[in-house]
Amino acid sequence: MSAAIVPDDPLLRVPGHELELGWRSSRHARRLLTLSLAGALIALLAGRPEFAGVAAPALLLLAAGRARRRDLAPARIIVRVRLSVGRAFEGEAIALEVRAEGHGDRHVWWMLHPSAEINPGDVTTADGGQARFTLVAERWGRRRVGTMSVVVRDRWRLAEGHLSVNLPVLDCYPGPADQRTTMVLRRLPNRVGEHPARTAGKGIEFFGVREYLPGDRQRSINWPASTRRGRLQVNTFATERSQDVVLLADATSDVGEPGSSALDLALRGATAAARAYLQGRDRVGVITYQWSGVSWLAPRLGRRQLDRIIVSMMTSRPLTSRAGWARGASSGRLPRAALPPGALIVVFSPLLDQRLVESLRNMRERGFTMLVVDVLNAEPPVRRRSSEDRMARQIWQMEKEAIRFSLHELGVPVVHWDGVQSLDLPQAAYVRRPLAARR
Amino acid sequence: MTRAAGRGAALLLGPGLLGAGCVVWAAVPLIHTRYPTIALWMASLGVVAGALRLALAEIAVPEDTYLLTAAVKFWLRFLNVVRQVPWEEGTLVAVLWLEVLHPAPPWHTAVLGAALIAYLLAAHLAESGASPGVLRPQVRVLALGAGLLALGAGAGMVAAAGPGVGSTLLRLVAAGALITAAVLVLPYFARGEARRPAPPPPTRDVSSLIGRGLDPRTRRRTWSGRTG
Repeated sequence: MSAAIVPDDPLLRVPGHELELGWRSSRHARRLLTLSLAGALIALLAGRPEFAGVAAPALLLLAAGRARRRDLAPARIIVRVRLSVGRAFEGEAIALEVRAEGHGDRHVWWMLHPSAEINPGDVTTADGGQARFTLVAERWGRRRVGTMSVVVRDRWRLAEGHLSVNLPVLDCYPGPADQRTTMVLRRLPNRVGEHPARTAGKGIEFFGVREYLPGDRQRSINWPASTRRGRLQVNTFATERSQDVVLLADATSDVGEPGSSALDLALRGATAAARAYLQGRDRVGVITYQWSGVSWLAPRLGRRQLDRIIVSMMTSRPLTSRAGWARGASSGRLPRAALPPGALIVVFSPLLDQRLVESLRNMRERGFTMLVVDVLNAEPPVRRRSSEDRMARQIWQMEKEAIRFSLHELGVPVVHWDGVQSLDLPQAAYVRRPLAARR
Repeated sequence: MTRAAGRGAALLLGPGLLGAGCVVWAAVPLIHTRYPTIALWMASLGVVAGALRLALAEIAVPEDTYLLTAAVKFWLRFLNVVRQVPWEEGTLVAVLWLEVLHPAPPWHTAVLGAALIAYLLAAHLAESGASPGVLRPQVRVLALGAGLLALGAGAGMVAAAGPGVGSTLLRLVAAGALITAAVLVLPYFARGEARRPAPPPPTRDVSSLIGRGLDPRTRRRTWSGRTG
């Protein structure tokens, strides 16, 4: 697999690494040497000259290759490596381009050694001065793509120069789940947006009819209503406002199969929700709840906010540190900017941490409207024929039911999401009508 | 089947068929005694394992080999063994041993020698993914080698005709030529081995962890904070 080098190749703009080649005899040369030595030895020991003839072509090839080696192989070559993108979502294809310079007319062979969670597909080797591989990052995280082995062979294929190149780092974002609908609060803050509010204003959604007042636009006159009532009537429209949405991702526990664990689903769900609400011109922020504390990102508008939210979730401290030390986390210590009054809070959590449940209770008592998406899809393992294990699992299930019930009693709906279906399905019941915050 | 896939299959099948042909050529007629049987098994194993190595050459080995299941670990170890053992060298020695153990005429050995050279070239083309065109600079040398092979076979036939001064002289000439060639070649290998590079530095494991400072912009106090 090789590609032609074009003058405006972006790979040429990447700084090259000058690397040293380690030269040694090739496998082909070692095989030829084995054949020649074995043939010569048998010819001498058995006194059969035909075996010397068997050894002769191999010896000639080796001798000719050695004589031709005067045009010495390069000690160093320049290698350029380029990823088509520095950041990608899970499952997105990424191109990896490599190019060698300074190898002359020698043959270059590439072999990719991918790191964990990087799928190189079917093609992991290529030859030629320039090559291109296609990779897929299978799980979110910040990881190096892997290493690349480069082998430079001379024209006679008897000597090989080897080197290894570290490939760049790729930031893989959690792949957002499918979510198109959004929940809307009944009481919206006084800020222009796209959600029709319960007050008349300058929107496009019909709100009602009232009597004409001087200054009203003529085009808003409702002629059928005016004819019926005998006085001029005008249409009024609902004002359009935006809301503050705070996503709470629970990173305290990561249980389940890697790739579909609770943390995977929490991040994918939060990413999907952030994208959906940002598309609806809402201000979206994120709180990442973890053992050591709470990291947060204040709600803001715009496309770049999605990147900031994902990065904020991925750089949370417990995800990067090995220690599981806990200093306790409390939503009460969050500043007003992180948790604006009247915001809609969407929680993605497996509900395994009692302190998080207490925090949710606390937030609910402060008047926030909330929805909890339960992302737990695993149960404690039970050994066969172990009644204690079965009983422990039943108790665990009952405790979980109790948590859900207590949240429901507080007015916090809890829905379950399996990570496969669209997020619209579990939230459907709360999307149809505006959510009211009961105190 | 595309042209590239067909070429790849041919490159893989070529060494296997040539190796099997060499083994059959050297083993027939079968001798059911101890050493020929051992040599036959060794040669067969070498051909099969060599073909397996070529077939599995494209499979990528993950860079991080920790926290893997037992099955994956076993698979990686198997791949490592298949790739590291010099199967073709073992095949060569076993096939030549088989040929010695069989009472074969010199022309039979010469044909075997040509087939073994073809086997080695095919194996190299398959493992490097190169086209047969890369062997073009070696055609003259190979032709010269074929001439020497025929000369060796002829010398064997002369010697087989009966002992005498001519056959002894031919043997001496052949042995001298081989020793001279070996003296020419061996330093080349000694130098090549001495220049073997150090292994690449160990790579830091970042696969299961999420790195810090993914985007420095989010570290700004105006955007984010941390309590705890």
